[in-house]
Amino acid sequence: MAASKLLQVRLDSLFFGQTLRAKHFERDALPHLPAVYRMARQLVGVESADDLVQETFLRAWKYFETFDPTTNCRAWLFRILRNVWISRWRKSRLELPLVDTGAEQIEPYYDWEGEFLREELSADVERALSELLPDYRLAILLADVEDCTYEEIARIMECPIGTVMSRLNRGRRMLARLIQAYGDAKASKNQPQEFVRRKP
Amino acid sequence: MMDCQNLREVLDLYVDGELSPEASVQAEAHLAECLACRRAADCLRGLRQAVKAAVSQYQPAPQLANRVRESTLSPWHRRPAWALAVAAAALLIVAFAASAAQLRGTVANTLEAVAFRLDDSRSVVMEGMLLCRDCQLKKEYGYRAMCPLKGHHGALQTKDGKIWNILDGDAAEDLIHNSALLGRTVRIHGRCFRRASSLEVDSYEILEKGSQARS
Repeated sequence: MAASKLLQVRLDSLFFGQTLRAKHFERDALPHLPAVYRMARQLVGVESADDLVQETFLRAWKYFETFDPTTNCRAWLFRILRNVWISRWRKSRLELPLVDTGAEQIEPYYDWEGEFLREELSADVERALSELLPDYRLAILLADVEDCTYEEIARIMECPIGTVMSRLNRGRRMLARLIQAYGDAKASKNQPQEFVRRKP
Repeated sequence: MMDCQNLREVLDLYVDGELSPEASVQAEAHLAECLACRRAADCLRGLRQAVKAAVSQYQPAPQLANRVRESTLSPWHRRPAWALAVAAAALLIVAFAASAAQLRGTVANTLEAVAFRLDDSRSVVMEGMLLCRDCQLKKEYGYRAMCPLKGHHGALQTKDGKIWNILDGDAAEDLIHNSALLGRTVRIHGRCFRRASSLEVDSYEILEKGSQARS
């Protein structure tokens, strides 16, 4: 069924060419622009997000023939986004992305509480996200914002599902601790200072 | 039966909906009995929601969607390089043929047809003279211009003699309504809607008497 649909699309593309391709691109890829933008903004910041989005869609358009319409176009776009981002990131920074072993132990406990009712939480979450290792950040964004399955995340990030699980587990722990630390710092700043009367 | 240690090892999978149905049933049975694990699960859900709320608040600017659409779906980008080369060669041949007087009418129509075909309302820079559209139509076709009552209406005449309507907008105000500019040569930056013979003005420069930029 999937193969016949794919064949149909290929034949359509062959006979009706660019117009049909554009129509499919507009229908399948362009509606995901807001999601791609959200992700790009968290990966490279607001200044470069537009460029990253544009480059992602240009590349997607270039290779649109290779997209299998029976699969998830948004996940396909995220994979392209990640590749564009890595090639840019490696060009512009000397550090290399995180290398983790898939067999890492999952950390079993969560030790934060009551942090998610604070005001100004969004700003702290964004700040904490920006401090995470990029691959942890990407895994969390894909799972928590885009509701991707572990299998989709593994395909997008080109890693085993075990690595996805460990990145999510570690990343979320780090994120929660950072948010908690920002909250604690603010609380101690707002604490009224006690005046100690000096003896005459 | 799942204990606290087991539950917390699979807590991410449980909250992300990745546990098998059997394991989910076991996890739920444990959560129903254990307050500490319920709180841990709530914390994790809270973190997920906080991340989603923080990130989802941003939307791309409409200009970005336009740029992406233009860079992928616009006719120029859609056509392969050889098609553009063929189009360019055809234009050259047509322009060459234009030297023959008897062909001029046909050529003009062909060029117009090509221009219509390639119309994509992208940013342009156009130069020409500002004139009153209604007075010009009166001069050429005997149109009953209402300029003495309603004032002149600026339009751009390019070197090929074509008259372009200037669309209303902040940047276009003077070009349309300031009679003092009539007869001046201007360079307009904006978008061109060829089929409607209309220009949307982003900014303009007056090219005579010490070029001045306005926007």
